[in-house]
Amino acid sequence: MADDYPKVDRVMGGASGWFSIALPAVLFLYFLGLVPQIAETPQVRGIEWVPSLGIGLSVLLDGLSLTFALLITGIGTAVTLYSARYLGQHPDYPRFVAYLMLFMVGMLGLVLAGNLISLFVFWEVTTIASYLLIGFNADSAKSRRSALQALLVTGTGGLILLAGMIVLGTVAGSFELVEILSQGEMLRDHPWYLAILLLFLAGAFTKSAQVPFHFWLPNAMAAPTPVSAYLHSATMVKAGVFLLARMNPALGGTEAWFWMLTLFGGVTAVFASVMSLRQTDIKQVLAYTTLMALGTLTMFIGAGTHYAIMAAMLFLVVHSLYKAALFLMIGIVDHATGTRETGVLGGLAKAMPLTGLAAALAAVSMAGIPPMVGFIGKEFMYKAGLGLGGFGAIWVTVMIFAASVMMFVVAGIVAWKPFRGELRQTPHAAHEGPWPMLAGPLVLGALSLIFGLFPGILAHYFVGPATHAVFGEVREVHLYLWGGINMALVLSLLTFLAGWLMYRRHEAIRDRLTRIEEGSRVNFDAGWDRVLDGLKALAAWQTRLIQTGNLQTYMAVIFASFTILVGATFLLRGGMGSGINYQADGIHPIQWTVLALIAMGAILATITSSRMTAVAALGVVGIGVALIFIMFSAPDVAITQLLVEVLVVVLVALVMLRLPHLPVRSASGFRAGHAAIAAAFGILSTLVMIAVLQTPFDRRLTDFFEIASWPEAHGRNIVNVILVDFRATDTFGEIVVVVIAAVGAYALLRGAPGARPTPEDEEPAQVAAADKGEKV
Amino acid sequence: MELLLALTIGVLMASSVYLMLDRNVIRFLFGLILLSNAANLVIFLSGRLTAGAPPLIDEGAYAPTGVVANALPQALVLTAIVIGFGLLAFTLALVYRTYRSLGTVNSDEMRLAEPVSAPRTTPHPDPTAAPGTPPASDPTLDKTDATTTPTGGEARA
Amino acid sequence: MSWILVNPILIPLVTAVLAYLFRTSPAGRWISVAGTVVLLFASLILMGEVLEHGVIAGQMSNWQAPFGITLVADYLGGVMVVITAITAMATVIYTLAEIPERLERLGFHALLQVLVAAVCGAFLTGDLFNLYVWFEVMLISSFGLLVLGGSKEQLDGGIKYVTLNLVSTIMFLSGIGLLYGITGTLNMADLHLAVREVENAGLLTTIAVMFMVAFGVKAALFPLFFWLPASYHTPPVAVSAIFAGLLTKVGVYALIRSFTLIFDQDVTFTHTILLWLAVATMVTGVLGAAAMNDFRRILSFHIISQIGYMVLGLALFTPLGLVGAVFYLVHHIIVKANLFFVAGVAKRIGGSTDLSRLGGLYAHAPLLAFLFLIPAFSLAGFPPLSGFWAKYVVVKAALDLEMWFVAGASLAVGLLTIYSMTKIWGAAFWPKHPDGIKPRLGDLPAGERVALMAPIVGLAVLTCIIGLFPEPFVQFAETSAEQLLDPTAYVTTVLGVQP
Repeated sequence: MADDYPKVDRVMGGASGWFSIALPAVLFLYFLGLVPQIAETPQVRGIEWVPSLGIGLSVLLDGLSLTFALLITGIGTAVTLYSARYLGQHPDYPRFVAYLMLFMVGMLGLVLAGNLISLFVFWEVTTIASYLLIGFNADSAKSRRSALQALLVTGTGGLILLAGMIVLGTVAGSFELVEILSQGEMLRDHPWYLAILLLFLAGAFTKSAQVPFHFWLPNAMAAPTPVSAYLHSATMVKAGVFLLARMNPALGGTEAWFWMLTLFGGVTAVFASVMSLRQTDIKQVLAYTTLMALGTLTMFIGAGTHYAIMAAMLFLVVHSLYKAALFLMIGIVDHATGTRETGVLGGLAKAMPLTGLAAALAAVSMAGIPPMVGFIGKEFMYKAGLGLGGFGAIWVTVMIFAASVMMFVVAGIVAWKPFRGELRQTPHAAHEGPWPMLAGPLVLGALSLIFGLFPGILAHYFVGPATHAVFGEVREVHLYLWGGINMALVLSLLTFLAGWLMYRRHEAIRDRLTRIEEGSRVNFDAGWDRVLDGLKALAAWQTRLIQTGNLQTYMAVIFASFTILVGATFLLRGGMGSGINYQADGIHPIQWTVLALIAMGAILATITSSRMTAVAALGVVGIGVALIFIMFSAPDVAITQLLVEVLVVVLVALVMLRLPHLPVRSASGFRAGHAAIAAAFGILSTLVMIAVLQTPFDRRLTDFFEIASWPEAHGRNIVNVILVDFRATDTFGEIVVVVIAAVGAYALLRGAPGARPTPEDEEPAQVAAADKGEKV
Repeated sequence: MELLLALTIGVLMASSVYLMLDRNVIRFLFGLILLSNAANLVIFLSGRLTAGAPPLIDEGAYAPTGVVANALPQALVLTAIVIGFGLLAFTLALVYRTYRSLGTVNSDEMRLAEPVSAPRTTPHPDPTAAPGTPPASDPTLDKTDATTTPTGGEARA
Repeated sequence: MSWILVNPILIPLVTAVLAYLFRTSPAGRWISVAGTVVLLFASLILMGEVLEHGVIAGQMSNWQAPFGITLVADYLGGVMVVITAITAMATVIYTLAEIPERLERLGFHALLQVLVAAVCGAFLTGDLFNLYVWFEVMLISSFGLLVLGGSKEQLDGGIKYVTLNLVSTIMFLSGIGLLYGITGTLNMADLHLAVREVENAGLLTTIAVMFMVAFGVKAALFPLFFWLPASYHTPPVAVSAIFAGLLTKVGVYALIRSFTLIFDQDVTFTHTILLWLAVATMVTGVLGAAAMNDFRRILSFHIISQIGYMVLGLALFTPLGLVGAVFYLVHHIIVKANLFFVAGVAKRIGGSTDLSRLGGLYAHAPLLAFLFLIPAFSLAGFPPLSGFWAKYVVVKAALDLEMWFVAGASLAVGLLTIYSMTKIWGAAFWPKHPDGIKPRLGDLPAGERVALMAPIVGLAVLTCIIGLFPEPFVQFAETSAEQLLDPTAYVTTVLGVQP
């Protein structure tokens, strides 16, 4: 995969490569320098960002955030060094670096944030970066699908989390973590506690890929290997776990918290470790063990005792060290041999001794064998599990036992099997990897050993302060390799035994699992496709329903909406007021005649199928309206109305001669519906009009115009004065309308073709583009 | 009189809505003309009616003597009439131009901007219309009616 | 004071006249560019005055309100004018490379400038009937622009756009008549006081709902939005862009203005209707976008969905809700116009806006890809871009009122927005072009490249600035919301008396 692109000649990725290595390295040293200080006293710093919304860029530096920051920058350095060699000659390498740096900044911001909303901002930045990185091989449809899946799953969780954060911030009265974390008791007793908890868990579980939201993570392995090592194993997927740990003092310690976390975490851990056995691609094997680790971490944070938190923090470090190393290792193997299949690889130890060494260091830690730090991690998990009371102790311990056995097996599959025995035929001849790619895994592996031999450093500077931050109170943390003969040790020995037995038979188990999986109806990945297809179908269905493309429907819906909304309001809010007060004042016969004329003209225009009759009827209506204006003292309006009416009739008649006859009518079913809408609309208009007429009229504007018209505006025709002086702006706009109507109509008609459209009319924008192209 | 005029407005409104709901764009135009008239009457009537007293100031007077008609709605109606005319003229041009280009005044057949991707019933296949709209049989399109009614273009020919 | 308010209307009109006179020569288009630059300066001066005084008013022909026509600029009006000027300038620069001489000769620039003048007029007028007049000016110039060039698709979309919009305008006009009938005034500040005297409150509410429907058509609310997806993808891209940015926003502005200043008497009723219309608008709009397979049609449906958010902010009728509405308005104009610009460039170098006929933009036009991601992620509400803050404020406003369902719906719509944006990204940018075309920006002539890309870069920078430094914009929106919820300053400034 890594070789089929046109290479660009860059040494270590060129300038962007060196920059990408230097930035995390410098940051790592900076954070390292902060360790002694922060281990003693956590700090809050920060700057204002959006104070009016209560959002600041505050930084909360404590054991938890600093440990994460060191993992992010430390493993970041290893990964960027590795990728400079691995992808440095890829044409899109600079973009890769940009995304990776974007991610690193986002991830650092996330763990260091001292404000919920700014935490969320960075949370989403990591989501975007992950999307772009998974889709890095954009030509591959699989990459694109996986990227979208990761984005939508974590994006969904993110949005739910946002709601949770807003509610939590509202309840706590602040978005500052320091304030929120100190109000744990109040929050846990709040009636919205459970809602807040569930919203947070939705965010954390999707990001940290807990069952049943796990399926995106194995698919995310479509990303280049350094990305898998960095984002989808060591750092980003731990953001959910981080969030849970961070919120533990505020939300943790309740029954709901305990069971939600231990159940989801436990199920995820066991499910994932079984699934990891089922894989043949070593990268997939590792992906599932990552899931397993995330489940374990969730479980222990949920367990919530001091020992459990300590075990979680320890395992966090342990896992990041060995898992990043293993991912990078398998990248080297893939690079060198062209395959990652367990069945194909074998005997690499001679050809790739250093890679083998790195793999061995990491895998021994993973298997939990002394003197690696992984052993300590496992011991303390057992102790923490056994230390819980009641059913919880059994549940957690059993889950840990199962997961640990599987990890032992997996360690054998990924780091033992490919390297021992006879060298086997692979697509490329196996050869040792270059030093920039080896450096990371070797250093990380060595750290697993060093921390195992000197657990005091780890306890004092990292696990202790982190546990303090998560647990909320200071208690001594003491880590050791040898704790005497106790239950945990017995369980460890049982783990090795069971693991060894299972490793011997792992291929048979795998075949069995494959058959079970193929027979199973539960397939989360396919379920995802169904959800997405369902969504598409829903979208298409509703859009066909609403946006029919048919003008008649549009018009009918708009008039119906108007009638229903306005009509309902009129009825519900009593728009009629005191009812209709009819006074039979004398109506002149001429008035009757004119009104009848208008009504009949309108109805005739509606029912006729002769266009000339219709035009004539419209003329009658227009003249009738003009007569009303004359009768009720509006001679100017009447004259204008007549003039315009004549113009309209002439224009319509002229155009009509060139247009077809009328009889394109609606189907009769439609006509009844349309008549109902029209009638309702008409009745409503009349009623509202009557209601308006029954309110007292405030004539003060006109009173002013009558007084001011002559003395101040020097006009005797008040209507004219209003038009040219009091409301001259309207008249100005009116003129603009008429001018633009002329310009627009002229433009529209000037290019009008004959009966047949000319080719020019086919596609204006393309022609437009072509025109432009010639012009320039 | 006010009540009767309000009733007349209702008739005008109903007629115009009915016309505008027709699939023939020419009928829509007729409806538009009626609706403009109705709206103008609404404004005029809202300012209340006064018979036989135009809002004029006699020579030598500083203000109208006695009660005269409300001048403001008259001014508004004047503006509205002229604006309405401008818009109507443009719309007329548009309908005419559309007919020359598409060969129809039937809005059922105006499906180029939002094409039905099922086999097109319109006699104007347009290569530039964007395909890819979800497969749709238009629920509102009355098939028998659409096929039996002669299109505008044929009627004209 | 008066000239400052008149300038944003007058400058584009004068530009329009000059541009029309010189429409057959290249001078016409440069006049148009210059006009928008001057307009931008004028709008900034106006904004400066508004920031200093809070609300400024100018009585046209010196007739004291409510008798004459008053132009008013408060925070909302002022910022809308500024954003209009920015959009206009971006569009006109873009047209230099997009609009062919054939359309210029037909008066393209004059129509565009008149549109801008009308939009500014609508934002600045303090008189309801005058607002109607500006609506009509806006409408007629948009008609002209929409069908200019006269392709079949344009005419088809044009018929729907014209007919449906005319209906809404006449509803608006009738509403004005009726409102005048019960209050006797047209000045909006005066109406604010006059509606308090109306005895028949039910009738007032009825008329309020009439305005809601009339403006709802303009703003493209559910179920009144049909004209928008029917037409916005048909004209040249520059026209789509300025329409998408400004026209529906005038409708939203009119809704905000009328339902804070005039129709604030029966809030529990009117704003509840608005609330559900807004939610339905958000949902149907975004589902429409998810169903489309054309770059511009997806964007068109998104407008509707986002209008829902803005109206939701108004419907919540809390200070924070209105902050959201104002913030959303400004953010959305910038982002949406920009996305249409990107669509235009994609069409230019990729040959289509149909997503199944596009591809390879990520590999061959990385700059365009980057510049697409900024507005796209902003629209989808990803932090730290402008859209996040807009969405955040609206969602928080809903949660503060314990409207769980509404907040949930807004978040779900946000998710679907992400989905439909990735649909564009996953079809036009990531995969190879189906015809093997390598769409490169470098293949465009240098001059055109600058004209097309400069507006995109500029608007993207604005998006980032608002996203990264939201504080001044939030503060501005807060003051704006205060002014809207308590129009005392507005009314006092317009009428010159204490209410």
